[in-house]
Amino acid sequence: MIEIREIGRQFNTRDGGTFEALKDVSFSVKDKEFFSIIGPSGCGKTTLLKMVAGLVRPTSGQIVIDGSPVSGPGNDRAMVFQHFVLLPWADILTNVGFGLEMRGLSRRESREAARPFLDRVGLTGFAEHYPHELSGGMQQRVGLARALAVSPDILLMDEPFGALDAQTRQLMQEDLMRIWDVEQKTVIFVTHSMDEAAYLSDRVLVMDTHPGKVREVLDVPLPRPRDEAVRTTPVFNELTSHMWHELRGMIGDPTAPAPE
Amino acid sequence: MVTDQAAGATDVELTLAARGGSSSRWTPWLFRIGSVGLVLLIWELYGRAQDTTLFFVPFTSVVTALWELVQTTEFWDAFRQTFIPFIWGWLLSLVVGIFLGLLIGRFPAFDALTKPYVTFLNALPISTLVPIAVILFGIGYPSRILIVFLFGVIEVTLNTAAGVRYVNRDLVEMGESFNGTQWRLFRKVILPASVPGIMAGVRIGTGRAVVGMVVVEILLVAVGMGRLILRYRGRFQSAELYAVVLALILFGILLQVLARRIELRASRWKSEMEQVA
Ligand SMILES: Nc1ncnc2c1ncn2[C@@H]1O[C@H](COP(=O)(O)OP(=O)(O)OP(=O)(O)O)[C@@H](O)[C@H]1O
Ligand SMILES: [Mg+2]
Repeated sequence: MIEIREIGRQFNTRDGGTFEALKDVSFSVKDKEFFSIIGPSGCGKTTLLKMVAGLVRPTSGQIVIDGSPVSGPGNDRAMVFQHFVLLPWADILTNVGFGLEMRGLSRRESREAARPFLDRVGLTGFAEHYPHELSGGMQQRVGLARALAVSPDILLMDEPFGALDAQTRQLMQEDLMRIWDVEQKTVIFVTHSMDEAAYLSDRVLVMDTHPGKVREVLDVPLPRPRDEAVRTTPVFNELTSHMWHELRGMIGDPTAPAPE
Repeated sequence: MVTDQAAGATDVELTLAARGGSSSRWTPWLFRIGSVGLVLLIWELYGRAQDTTLFFVPFTSVVTALWELVQTTEFWDAFRQTFIPFIWGWLLSLVVGIFLGLLIGRFPAFDALTKPYVTFLNALPISTLVPIAVILFGIGYPSRILIVFLFGVIEVTLNTAAGVRYVNRDLVEMGESFNGTQWRLFRKVILPASVPGIMAGVRIGTGRAVVGMVVVEILLVAVGMGRLILRYRGRFQSAELYAVVLALILFGILLQVLARRIELRASRWKSEMEQVA
């Protein structure tokens, strides 16, 4: 279980003041749960996820995983970054194996072990390509494969499908569902898409902004396994329109039409 | 008939396109060769217009003198006496500079510790240290190596340190997220990401080391190319004097080209990335 306990985070601003990015954020994520976070841009989703990853320290509060407080990165967690962050000098296969290399495998072993994960994200033919030769969506899948390759118990995904076109996005969602069904990981999934959050998650955290805080945590009472048909059910629609109502007020334009 | 015309037109277009493509690729070279050629031509004409060859000689005479010079063993002995300490000083400046630069870039404490010396060396015209080097080590190899080393090492150090310091934060964070050792993070992320900075240091440092070598030859004239310079100057053998200087310049240019090549090759990922961006 991941417990986020009264987390706060301030950043120093240029003019010497402080900026409160997150305030009093508390929630917990159960084992093997698919937990999504949705909220307006700049509400601190990435910051929150990086705290769970052990990359950013909270200024107040703490994060506890299975009883022990997070003090840094760990082998139990892997993160998929919003902006991919691939090694530009290394080819795709080396990039996918990078996490394994960091954990002590040789270059050859990790490249070997990375292959099935490259297949899994549909980039089999691109093993020897370089990141700059790939589209944004493909790079994003490399980032996903890299995280999956270290077999983490907890997968932290920061808008992993944000750069994908609609069709690829849907395919990747289904793939992720399948992977998650088989491997039973805990997933914290940041997204801007209400549809995606409802389709994938057990629960969805809706965040408020200025400062970032918990607005509400929604249960997704949809049976599993889910398929495309689920997107047309009344429960699904009710859920997404509820999220839309919650979020619309924060973005500041109450007359804006619902997206998607 | 119609098809013939069409084919003909296409051929012309293709040739034009091909010519356009290759001419744009060679244009910088044309300009370079043209500008160097122009200067050499002026040199030649001005040299020929002189009444005496005591002070200024035409380019062709210098080339002839150089050609004769490189056939003497004396020239190659002198070259070796200049070249060997240069190579040592240069390599030492690269090795020490990269090592220090990595430490300075990675550890702020080490940066603070070495800052006074680095600033001092960076602000000081190294030539002023030549007399001190001579007093301490004589005019043999040790002084020469030391001076070439001092000329080169600062640029290598500073550029390497900058390369390490400005490694993309996101890359480092990503590396940290996979929970490896600091050493692995250094080897697999920070070091490769610093290569462009290191290589810029190698190129600039090489140029500085060549300057150091020339300074040594002019200030420490007892052996090597410097002795040739002194002798030809004393005898007013201007063509030979120019030839020796030309040889030094050519050697310097050769090293620069080499260093630039290595830099481009090692930093290729960076330029490719920037092309995309
Ligand atoms: N290192 C930092 N220094 C200063 N301010 C920061 C830093 N990191 C984040 N912030 C600020 O904290 C706030 C939250 O940033 P964060 O990246 O977590 O938002 P987000 O919810 O992920 O946004 P998006 O949906 O656009 O990715 C923003 O206002 C941002 O400017
Ligand atoms: Mg973000």
